[in-house]
Amino acid sequence: MTELLQNLIDGLGRGSIYALLALGVAVVFGIMHMLNFAHGELITIPGYLTFWAFNNGWNWWTVVPLIVVSAVLSSLLIERIAFSRVRGATDFTMLLTSFGVHFIVAAGFLLYVSASVKTIPRPGWFANTVSVGSLNIEVFDLAVIAVTAVVLAGTTWLLQRTMFGLALRAAASDFDTARLMGVKSDSVIRGAFALSGFLAGIAGVFWIMREGQVTPTAGINPMLQGVLAVLIGGLGSLRGAVLGGLVLGLAEVLLRSWLPLGIQNLTTGFVFLMIALLFIFRPGGLLSVPQVERV
Amino acid sequence: MLEVTGLTTKYGAISALRDASLSVGEGEVVGLIGPNGAGKTTLLGSIAGLLPIDSGSVSFEGTDITSAAPEKIVRSGLALVPEHRRIFADMNVEENLKIGGVTVTAGERAELLTEMADLFPVLRKKWDTAAGFLSGGEAQQLAIARALMSKPKVIMMDEPSLGLAPILVDLVFDLIETLRSQGRTILVVEQNATRMLKAADRAYVLRSGEVVASGSGAELLERSDLFDTFVGGGR
Amino acid sequence: MFPNKRRDVGFPILGSLVLFAVLFGGGLIYQTILGNGSAERLVTTMLIDAIIVIGIQIYIGNTGILSFGHIGFGAVAGYAFAVFAIAPEEKLKRIPMAPFGLTDVQVSPVVAIIIAVLITLVFAFIVGIGLARSGAQSGSVAATVITLALLFVTHEVAKSWPELTGGNRGGISFGIGDSLQSRWPVLLALFGAMLVARLFGQSRSGRLAIAAREDNLAARAMGVNPLVQQMAALLLSVAIVSIGSALRVFEIGSILPDRFFFDYAMLTLVMLIVGGRNSVTGAVLGVAVMTAARELARRLGQDGFEAFGIGLDEAPLDWIFRENLNSIVLGVAMVAFMIWRPKGILEDWEFDQWLYRKIGRGAESKPERLSELDTVPDAAFSASDISVSFGGFHALTDAGIDAKSGEIVGIIGPNGAGKTTFVNVITGMVEPTGGRFEIDGADLSGKQSFELSRSGLVRTFQNLRLFGALTVRENVETAALVAQEHRSDRVLRSTDALIAEAGLWEHRDRRARELDYGNSRRLELARAAAMAPSFMLLDEPTSGMSDSESITMIEQVRHMAATVGAGVIVIDHDLAFITGISDRIYVLDQGSVIADGTPDEVQANPQVQAAYLGSAAIT
Repeated sequence: MTELLQNLIDGLGRGSIYALLALGVAVVFGIMHMLNFAHGELITIPGYLTFWAFNNGWNWWTVVPLIVVSAVLSSLLIERIAFSRVRGATDFTMLLTSFGVHFIVAAGFLLYVSASVKTIPRPGWFANTVSVGSLNIEVFDLAVIAVTAVVLAGTTWLLQRTMFGLALRAAASDFDTARLMGVKSDSVIRGAFALSGFLAGIAGVFWIMREGQVTPTAGINPMLQGVLAVLIGGLGSLRGAVLGGLVLGLAEVLLRSWLPLGIQNLTTGFVFLMIALLFIFRPGGLLSVPQVERV
Repeated sequence: MLEVTGLTTKYGAISALRDASLSVGEGEVVGLIGPNGAGKTTLLGSIAGLLPIDSGSVSFEGTDITSAAPEKIVRSGLALVPEHRRIFADMNVEENLKIGGVTVTAGERAELLTEMADLFPVLRKKWDTAAGFLSGGEAQQLAIARALMSKPKVIMMDEPSLGLAPILVDLVFDLIETLRSQGRTILVVEQNATRMLKAADRAYVLRSGEVVASGSGAELLERSDLFDTFVGGGR
Repeated sequence: MFPNKRRDVGFPILGSLVLFAVLFGGGLIYQTILGNGSAERLVTTMLIDAIIVIGIQIYIGNTGILSFGHIGFGAVAGYAFAVFAIAPEEKLKRIPMAPFGLTDVQVSPVVAIIIAVLITLVFAFIVGIGLARSGAQSGSVAATVITLALLFVTHEVAKSWPELTGGNRGGISFGIGDSLQSRWPVLLALFGAMLVARLFGQSRSGRLAIAAREDNLAARAMGVNPLVQQMAALLLSVAIVSIGSALRVFEIGSILPDRFFFDYAMLTLVMLIVGGRNSVTGAVLGVAVMTAARELARRLGQDGFEAFGIGLDEAPLDWIFRENLNSIVLGVAMVAFMIWRPKGILEDWEFDQWLYRKIGRGAESKPERLSELDTVPDAAFSASDISVSFGGFHALTDAGIDAKSGEIVGIIGPNGAGKTTFVNVITGMVEPTGGRFEIDGADLSGKQSFELSRSGLVRTFQNLRLFGALTVRENVETAALVAQEHRSDRVLRSTDALIAEAGLWEHRDRRARELDYGNSRRLELARAAAMAPSFMLLDEPTSGMSDSESITMIEQVRHMAATVGAGVIVIDHDLAFITGISDRIYVLDQGSVIADGTPDEVQANPQVQAAYLGSAAIT
């Protein structure tokens, strides 16, 4: 029982980061119908800035805003340079464009910074735990869960209560009609990328802290987790994305603890196997959005 | 107020509209009738900036708005109630209306919301209902109310009675009458030709992408060949 | 299998020979001029990359589904090959604890390749089922993510199963001197890959897959089951990628997880995309172009402009010219092509087909006019009590029609009357809430659209759904290929004759997307007729036509239906067209049939006038 609770908290901590990443991917997908394979770069770019900042005497208090702001700016910049040029193109084109952007950023760091691993100091409290009864809970997990809860609440408020949120939802459900109402297409798309960048920035703070390092290809894993979580939850659903992230995190932690010792290092493989089974039995994901076929 | 001159619009290889012209004066109710596929929806879509125009021009209050972005056109005071209503199904009635008022200030938006609640008692009752759950008639009223939220000088409606039961069709035409009495300028695409001609000051008949007849509603009603023109007889 | 032996077998063989000669010859010239070992290595690498890229082309090109997973399949094949081919002594050093007693196994490289292909095909089959379940079709996002996940799984497993794979650091190696020494296996595999890819593209299976790539809905309406053809393309493509990957491992002499991961997936995709993914010639061109570009970038990165002996002081450019410059070239090429030329340099251009049109086709004479069938095979279509409601809204209430072969039946009604819904029901796109429809007594309700068209009910589309990248001929041939399989009891007309009959003979080798509107409509009609249907269902065939065009359409529809002995059910809003063409007419309003009879009866019916002009007309 204790172990299960322990694992649940671990899993939620992990899943919260995935949920933030997935929500960012889903917001952009909703508005542009592009699955952003370059979403992980919103962690890689701030990651290198973090490395630079620590070398110049910054500390975590100042680095956190740096990560978030740079993630938002990177998101906007990438949209401006690359994605704005393929708006309305085929899905095939948009997928490959975002994949190409990932590659340019990764190769750029490889080329002009270094191929080697850059380490980033973790904050002092990182490994601390607090005891509740027989549970040993990592402070890091608690911080992730708390911050994610606040950010998700804030995002919900933004989407439900502000004009920007309404415009974003309207444009996601019917872009042309939203424009007929006067929603400016440029602003709403840029807004979506800014929001996506902000969510990635928050996730990035924890991701960078946890990894304690950055490499040119650091974006691959967060991107994959985010994209998979979106699919698990159901393409086209924001709630699904959050749910998918949490489920993915929980599945990883629970599987790791349930698998026999000898094959524990294959956990990721088994997670993928479970996802595959989910897709086979529920191709639309957990909260599938009905796809209407237009004749 | 609204001048459309020689508009041609193509979908790929299809000429959906050939050299169509019309004008709408201030305070007028103008009908646009014609069979399915005649290009009525294309015409409204082209005016509203949704469809790329091949040639011709659209001017509104003396300003050229040909091929401007839809969000610009609505800001200039020309609103479209699209075919099939296209309400945002996942959003509730209030949110739909708010989006309709995205172009006005927050203060005006609040005022307009009250105004719409008074004008459409049906909607007031369903204020927090997701729009996807509204009946056809309610959804049509929402679509019209949503367009009114932008304080348009001219409102264009694309087949507002489409798919509605006869009693609700009455309601739509009553609504058009109400809007006319408020002094609004309206351009309506309708399939229900007789009703439209009775309600309109003037009307245009569109066929195969071309304007084939125009005149006052009463004049057109008198035309004995209307049925033939309409459904394609008499060739 | 192949509609035209000369065009679909002969010229592809010839074309493959030429492509092969050009690629390999170019490589030979390059390595002779440079005359060093690294140039030779570069050429060998290029040839192996070409095998893998052509393999990927078979899937991506023919189905339009973007796959990152082929390199994952490559990893499976590469490891399988290495584990089986390496000598036990070497394995004792690297993977002494290999499962299933594999440490002691040794087979010849050829057998190892065969085993690798078979193992990988099993994986591919399972993944293919998953892809089918996800509703994979051209451009499908979910399918792409599945393939991406596959790439990660293979990488993860390779990294974290060191007992089998040697893990992330050690890997498996052949030891010095044991790796691929001769180019012959590569050359053989490369030529084979080109040939297989080209023949598949021209084959029945390839044609149907391409049709579904161009328009999934229309392909299904023509009796194609895209999932079957996608699976065929996947298996064939994976087999070739497997052979290429095994050779790649053999040539390098070792395998590590990262050799078959993101970087290589990116490289092969860029090669395919740059040249033109829809064409094998494009794939080969892409391999050549990107190999050259990368080599150029690599040498610029190493030596700056000195690489060309230009005595420029390159110091200010040092920040650009760094090692690994070639890696960024890939990303830039990918994004640049996606923005400015998303279909690649050659788009759909295929060398052997061009050659065939230039020299192979010879003079063609316009086929004789087809005579109408004297005896029309009896067939009866009947739909009864069809009801559909969407969330309380009754789109159709107990609507029904009957039609016999040789007859033209019209359905009219104003906008919103339920015509489209009715069409969607009897073409298998909307599930009715009640009622049934049948041909000759066989119940068709609940069948998928490709089953319906194979049963003899073939539709056209209001907004035109042709296979745009295919020529007029290929469009019609696609339908004919399905008809040969499923409609063989009927009179099958020659495709050329049908094309001529539709007045498209002059345009027979033009791509469908280049046709003007009237010709597109006629092509859709010819394509439907090539299915040898019992009934043709025409959905608004005159929509967007001028009056005079729709008048001429009447005769064309009549004649085309009579040449294949089909009954016609035609839906249109245009009363003149409908009364001109139909033997009998049903009038729909508010989801119900309000009248039926001969054109004259219907026209005189006041209810019909009311439905058209509005209810007030009666009073």
